[in-house]
Amino acid sequence: MSAFTSRLLEALGPDVVRTEPEDLAVFAFDAYSEDRLPAAAVIPRNAREVARAIAIARECGEPVVPRGAGTGLCGGAVPSRGGLVISFARMNRLLELDVRNRRARVQPGLINLELSHAIASQGVFYAPDPSSQKISTIGGNVGTNAGGAHCLRYGTTTNHVLGLEYVDTHGAVHRVSLDDPGYDLTGVLVGSEGTLGVITEVDVRLMTVPEAVRVCVAAFADVESASEAVSAIIGAGIVPTALEIMDALITRAVEAHYHAGYPENAGAVLLAELAGTHDDVAAGEALLARIAKDHGALSWRAARDQAECDALWAARKGAAGAIGRIAPNYYIQDACVPRTRLPEVMHEIDAIARDHQLPVGNVFHAGDGNLHPLLIFDRRERRQVDAVVAAGTEILRTCIAMGGTISGEHGIGYEKKESLSLVFSPDDLAAMGNVRAVFDPARAFNPDKIFPAGARCGEVGPPVHA
Amino acid sequence: MIAGSPKSAPRVVEPADAGELAAALRAAADAGEAVLVRGGGTLLAAANPPRRCDAVIATTRLCAVHSYDPRDLTIGAGAGMTLAALAETLAQHGQFLPLDAPFPARATIGGTLAAGWTGPRRSAYGRARDLLIGSTVALADGTLAASGGMVVKNVTGYDMGKLYVGSHGTLGAFVRANFKVLPMPPARRFAVSRFDPGSRERLDAGLHALMVPPVALLIRDGFAALLDGDARGDHRPEIVALFEGSESSVERGVRDYRSTLGAAGVAETRILDGADAAAVFQRAIDSVVAPADGQEVTLLARGLPSEAVHRAEAARTALGANVPVRTLADLLTGDVVAGIAGDAGALARGVARLRDVLGRAQIVASHLPAGVEIDAWGTAPSTIGTMRALKARFDPHGTLAPGGFVGGI
Ligand SMILES: Cc1cc2nc3c(=O)[nH]c(=O)nc-3n(C[C@H](O)[C@H](O)[C@@H](O)COP(=O)(O)OP(=O)(O)OC[C@H]3O[C@@H](n4cnc5c(N)ncnc54)[C@H](O)[C@@H]3O)c2cc1C
Ligand SMILES: Cc1cc2nc3c(=O)[nH]c(=O)nc-3n(C[C@H](O)[C@H](O)[C@H](O)COP(=O)(O)OP(=O)(O)OC[C@H]3O[C@@H](n4cnc5c(N)ncnc54)[C@H](O)[C@@H]3O)c2cc1C
Repeated sequence: MSAFTSRLLEALGPDVVRTEPEDLAVFAFDAYSEDRLPAAAVIPRNAREVARAIAIARECGEPVVPRGAGTGLCGGAVPSRGGLVISFARMNRLLELDVRNRRARVQPGLINLELSHAIASQGVFYAPDPSSQKISTIGGNVGTNAGGAHCLRYGTTTNHVLGLEYVDTHGAVHRVSLDDPGYDLTGVLVGSEGTLGVITEVDVRLMTVPEAVRVCVAAFADVESASEAVSAIIGAGIVPTALEIMDALITRAVEAHYHAGYPENAGAVLLAELAGTHDDVAAGEALLARIAKDHGALSWRAARDQAECDALWAARKGAAGAIGRIAPNYYIQDACVPRTRLPEVMHEIDAIARDHQLPVGNVFHAGDGNLHPLLIFDRRERRQVDAVVAAGTEILRTCIAMGGTISGEHGIGYEKKESLSLVFSPDDLAAMGNVRAVFDPARAFNPDKIFPAGARCGEVGPPVHA
Repeated sequence: MIAGSPKSAPRVVEPADAGELAAALRAAADAGEAVLVRGGGTLLAAANPPRRCDAVIATTRLCAVHSYDPRDLTIGAGAGMTLAALAETLAQHGQFLPLDAPFPARATIGGTLAAGWTGPRRSAYGRARDLLIGSTVALADGTLAASGGMVVKNVTGYDMGKLYVGSHGTLGAFVRANFKVLPMPPARRFAVSRFDPGSRERLDAGLHALMVPPVALLIRDGFAALLDGDARGDHRPEIVALFEGSESSVERGVRDYRSTLGAAGVAETRILDGADAAAVFQRAIDSVVAPADGQEVTLLARGLPSEAVHRAEAARTALGANVPVRTLADLLTGDVVAGIAGDAGALARGVARLRDVLGRAQIVASHLPAGVEIDAWGTAPSTIGTMRALKARFDPHGTLAPGGFVGGI
């Protein structure tokens, strides 16, 4: 046993500290990739224990990787240099609920959907809803500034975090809030993927459950025409709560598993949600239906009841899983373009996939211009793995050329760090580096993440999971 | 320190574009000079004056729209563009950006972002920081650094815009900002009522449960009346609400609101429509920082919405029965504003006492007699060490507004 692990054990005890390889294996991967085992993992019960573990790791020169549920899609929670993994599995409580002021204080290990369930009876909800919300944690969501289907109206995680408690690289605990005078440290920490501080509490903003919600489904001949409808809806000045598109491949996979009632023979399906007063929702639906029809919608219908809404959403959010059941392996790309470029970019993605002879499925947050092409491949076939890497990079370049960016919600992590320099100049990156240098001069928090290492540029790392 | 004494005039530079602005900054930094970045100058009296100021860099000429496709609901513009000019551009396409800063004809995009101004509609539409999707900043060493982009969802690298918003030009100068914008609501109504001070609590209790809430809801007390109340000798507190949305939801919101007011004993409510509503709402925002009379100081304290009425009440009575304090309680955001007038000694004592009552409170407007100095920021937060380190890293020679910010940054 190393000095590091024995010091951890001594300070925090065997209940909190894991050092056996079989216990550490679960901390070696996330939903993107797998890497080496950490030297140790801790499962602390409070911020004090987090701070203690970090102080010891730093004194021993070991890197620190915070970890939520490990559902990240860019290798963000993977301990690429070993060291210490901090799991928040035990810090998973809702600490305070203040319905009157629409806020709650939660521990980072709380599962996103469990928060929503815990507060639903009070007429409030937590808006950011990544498709992984059944398993991903609020801390991980804050780490990646997670988005979700309802970001179109409500914004992403950063718009719903009012303050944080975090532990710095020295093991000191700090509290920050949007109400503090001075620099907005809260805003900088959200989305920093564990590279600036380890978050131990989150103050979240809650919203009032709307009076009426309506979920509608339209069928289109192809993804381009569905995308044109979405561009037209946004261009007409309507901002529904969600506008999602699934192509034929995804719709069929989803229906095979969920039987939610999506039109299976359509080339593409548009899922639209409206929320507000009864009158606004009714008027909004009429307008949306008209625009959709003007853009070639083959059918339009509204869900009849809550059960049907829930089923449609469950199927949409389970799309990646449904593909996982029919494909040997798949790789989810995440990129964003200005919304008027949607039809064009969908056309390009189709061409890129065809060039590389890869089946592609598209399921995406269309209203935000946030794309998720899913490239299907077999990882035992070297040619296919190479093709996925090449196609993934081409898709990113295409999005950048259209004024877009290389990640809308999944983050940069390990996967896209070399691609960051496709978007930002050395001066842009140096400014970000300044922030890193202040919070974490030794680059001990989540090393190898977000920032390019140097020479190698513009490649997407090999996808390894399905 | 906020000081009433006039400063010796620094040289003023008006760069024509981002490159020139960055070059001016680099030249100043190389010469060891201190620089203040200025937008409309509506706020220069508010943060502490910098310890040194050899040059003022005005963003006036950086006022172009760089990119605007209304169908994308995004816009990119120069930092020196005024909020009024921006609003006009957007209005031509039925869109708006709810930044809610005072004096939009003079206030600039860069100054509003740098001041971190957050207006009364933020619970409905978000803060300036939430609407900013990308920015370019000239750093003290003369480099131009971009972050974010022109897309509405973006997690590519650190969210640097958040760091610069509210930094009062101490880390860099905004040269360009990109925003997500919103479709203009089809209907808008502004409601103004006077009420008897005794019904304050009852009002507050009824109003937070409205199914169709207003986008802004303020109780103003001691401020000049927005309509003609003062002229009629009515100095009771005023409750004002702005409703925005579809015609049907606004109508319903106003109806429910009026009946809630009625139940709390408020007899009369005046309703303004459309452009009139927008103009009077802007006047309510301006009044927060507009000078009333003579020597005065206005503080802003943040807090919980549920406590705003109570905290404003505490501020109003904090200086005793003979010293009037004008207050504004924002029932949706929790902001409390308190303004006092008086001689030098009274102002210094008043600010200290109000900070005892309200906690951390920032000065947002001041007209001080010569020689009086009052710290604009009050107690620094516990993370001041990290903030100082950020300043040292971004601006190692103290070129940008040295000493004007929180904790002497
Ligand atoms: C009398 C008055 C007092 C106010 N007090 C406050 C207050 O205390 N706090 C607050 O949050 N808001 C305050 N406001 C609101 C604020 O002035 C407005 O939000 C904003 O619109 C100012 O824009 P401006 O162009 O006039 O900025 P200016 O007054 O010119 O500058 C505001 C601040 O931002 C800096 N700055 C200006 N342009 C840039 C740029 N391009 N890049 C970087 N930094 C820049 C300046 O150095 C200064 O610190 C006040 C407004 C008024 C009229
Ligand atoms: C099927 C599926 C669907 C998905 N759908 C979406 C979606 O719709 N939208 C979306 O945005 N993402 C989505 N994701 C990606 C992923 O779920 C999100 O990135 C999520 O936010 C990760 O949460 P987690 O708890 O799993 O965090 P992890 O994967 O464990 O960690 C994510 C990052 O946050 C850091 N981190 C974790 N906890 C902390 C902490 N306490 N303090 C500081 N840093 C911390 C980690 O170091 C890492 O860099 C999906 C993933 C899957 C597998």
